[in-house]
Amino acid sequence: MDEAPGLSDQYRTASPWPVFVALGIPISELGLLFGVFPLAVGGLLLFCGSIAGMLKESGYVESTIRSLVVLSAILFAFGGALAFTEINLVTRGYATIAAAALLLVGGVAFELFVWDNKQAI
Amino acid sequence: MEVNGQLALTVLMGVFLIAVAAWLARIEDWRSYTPLAGGGAVGGTKEQYVSEEKPSGLIRWLTTVDHKDIGMLYGVYSLIAFAVGGLMVVAMRIELADPSMTLLSNTFYNSLLTSHGITMLFLFGTPIIAAFSNYFIPLLIGADDMAFPRINAIAFWLLPPGALLIWAGFFPIPDIIPAQTAWTMYTPLSAGVGSGNQMNAGVDLMLLGLHLTGVSATMGAINFIATIFTERNEKVTWANLDIFSWTILTQSGLILFAFPLLGSAILMLLLDRNFGTAFFSVDGGAILWQHLFWFFGHPEVYILVLPPMGIVSLVLPRFAGRRLFGFKFVVYSTLAIGVLSFGVWAHHMFATGIDPRLRASFMAVSLAIAIPSAVKTFNWITTMWNGNIRLTTPMLFCIGFVSNFIIGGVTGVFLASIPIDLILHDTYYVVGHFHYIVMGAIAFAGFAGLYYWFPIYTGRMYQTTLGKWHFWLSMIGTNLTFFVMVLLGYGGMPRRYATYLPQFATMHQLATVGALILLVGQMIFVWNFVQSWLEGPKVEDGDPWDLGEDNLTTAEWTWFERKLQTAVTDGGEEEDAELATDGGETVTDADDE
Ligand code: HEM
Ligand SMILES: [Cu+2]
Repeated sequence: MDEAPGLSDQYRTASPWPVFVALGIPISELGLLFGVFPLAVGGLLLFCGSIAGMLKESGYVESTIRSLVVLSAILFAFGGALAFTEINLVTRGYATIAAAALLLVGGVAFELFVWDNKQAI
Repeated sequence: MEVNGQLALTVLMGVFLIAVAAWLARIEDWRSYTPLAGGGAVGGTKEQYVSEEKPSGLIRWLTTVDHKDIGMLYGVYSLIAFAVGGLMVVAMRIELADPSMTLLSNTFYNSLLTSHGITMLFLFGTPIIAAFSNYFIPLLIGADDMAFPRINAIAFWLLPPGALLIWAGFFPIPDIIPAQTAWTMYTPLSAGVGSGNQMNAGVDLMLLGLHLTGVSATMGAINFIATIFTERNEKVTWANLDIFSWTILTQSGLILFAFPLLGSAILMLLLDRNFGTAFFSVDGGAILWQHLFWFFGHPEVYILVLPPMGIVSLVLPRFAGRRLFGFKFVVYSTLAIGVLSFGVWAHHMFATGIDPRLRASFMAVSLAIAIPSAVKTFNWITTMWNGNIRLTTPMLFCIGFVSNFIIGGVTGVFLASIPIDLILHDTYYVVGHFHYIVMGAIAFAGFAGLYYWFPIYTGRMYQTTLGKWHFWLSMIGTNLTFFVMVLLGYGGMPRRYATYLPQFATMHQLATVGALILLVGQMIFVWNFVQSWLEGPKVEDGDPWDLGEDNLTTAEWTWFERKLQTAVTDGGEEEDAELATDGGETVTDADDE
């Protein structure tokens, strides 16, 4: 009869990213609210990295690096605003900037090493 | 010490992130060697892994983006939350069996009170509705899945961290105590002002958790709106869209306008608490919070009640042997309630001294909103009138819903009248009023849905006798507990206290007895639910309720029928069906789309 009724051919039925997007939000919120540097950085990395992974997986974007660059630019702007304007939340600002930088580095590394690898196979 | 802590945390975070990355790398690989199924070819394109089977075990549940699985996750989650919130209130009711402070300290009582309210509204109420809508909306409207399956999964996975944060105060974490702000979180108390202990980080954690559940609800709502607008099968038009989808659509609209407001208000409160802003501490700040909160809060009550109304409108006619009476008017009244619900919020603030002219207009709209609610009630009654009624467990819960909703609604109309409200405000009358709706109606509709669709999501049948015990204990317990509260309110018993004057003792004891009856009922439910799920008789008929006889079959049962046939031909269980079918693709269904 019907193959797996109600289930689409176009959709994959599993994706590893949503859990991590969902984990990234509370971790970064906790870090930023209470000013816990490692939590803020780690949470933001997890959140933005998973967003980028998900965008790639669902085919909304072609390359991972580009979404990582955009996300890191947003974080740079946000972190800069926190640290260097009269908002003056310096630790939180630096945490955000650190996350932005790591994201960028990670993106470039991924592009250079991992992606090429996959193409080669 | 301080630096060491930071260092340890950094290392931990780093290890965690690397583990995540490693795991992801494996998963991403694992999905590219599948060609078992779906005729994938080597070096294939994206289609190669699209029809891949689900991974097994725990990983399946962590990675699923299938709307039915996510519906199940929501269901399990909300039932756990229901148990937690229920046990909290049992402790409170036992404390209230006696006028003085005996079992719980007053502060602990306040903590339980706060957590009970938030748990039931945000961790049980909203998610149990999402359980039904996720599972059944795509089936009812003939969609393949939700419009954004991954967002759907994100929305669910925000909830467990949300719950942990909301309950964090109860965990043995040093220096963190539970919030005691009540679910309305009125400032200045919730801003941590004064000599109390509400500056504690436990309140911040709760606010963050609440914020997460709000984000989750908003994502879900966007998804449902997009799904119902764009993913309908072409045979499903606006004219024949089913009633449950209508209520979910309206509810999603309400969520879209209400929850972001709650989110912003919470963020403002967090800023006030942690970064020295003064949104709610300047003159008029306290009333500002109330406006913001209730502008969200009143629509929230309709967010919670509309889909249950939809479930009742869907299920009740099936066991009355006829179509829903005045279908169109039920839809119109749903939409009317949706619009009006944004114009009544200040009826929660009649006693705050706001401008009397404002008050009067809010009273008028609040009375007006009773009209569409009554339209629905009459339609349910007329549907049953002269119908061929079958008193199955889901039907009993539907009838209980109607009965309790009438009492809850009528007490609400009385509260909407300013002079009466000034007397009854902040008494147990209000508690009685809204519990008739949240427990007597919303939870009842939830049970109706759980029993009605039990065969679909478990493939088995529950024990009918235990189902009836569950209903009658719930019905009696609800009415005993909450009717007594209405009377307590007339007597002037204020709400939210752990102790009371001895004159109220008898009534309070009755309410406690009622709560214990409810507890027994729910224990029977849990037993029946779990035992039948594991060992109940397998359902082999795609139409276990004999809906076909009255021509009342709906799309999800047709789907179920097809699924059963698939399973039977493979001679296997549900899981096997999905595995086996992956091999041989028949494209029959894809054609007529
Ligand atoms: C028939 C329409 C309804 C009217 C006219 C109405 C009216 C009211 C009024 C005036 C109050 C404020 C009482 C006070 O604090 O002094 C109130 C409280 C409340 N109502 Fe209703 N109500 C209606 C339906 C509902 C529904 C459908 C729900 C739930 C789904 C609900 C849930 C609540 C809750 C939770 C409160 C208490 C809020 C709090 O102070 O904690 N009401 N209602
Ligand atoms: Cu209201």
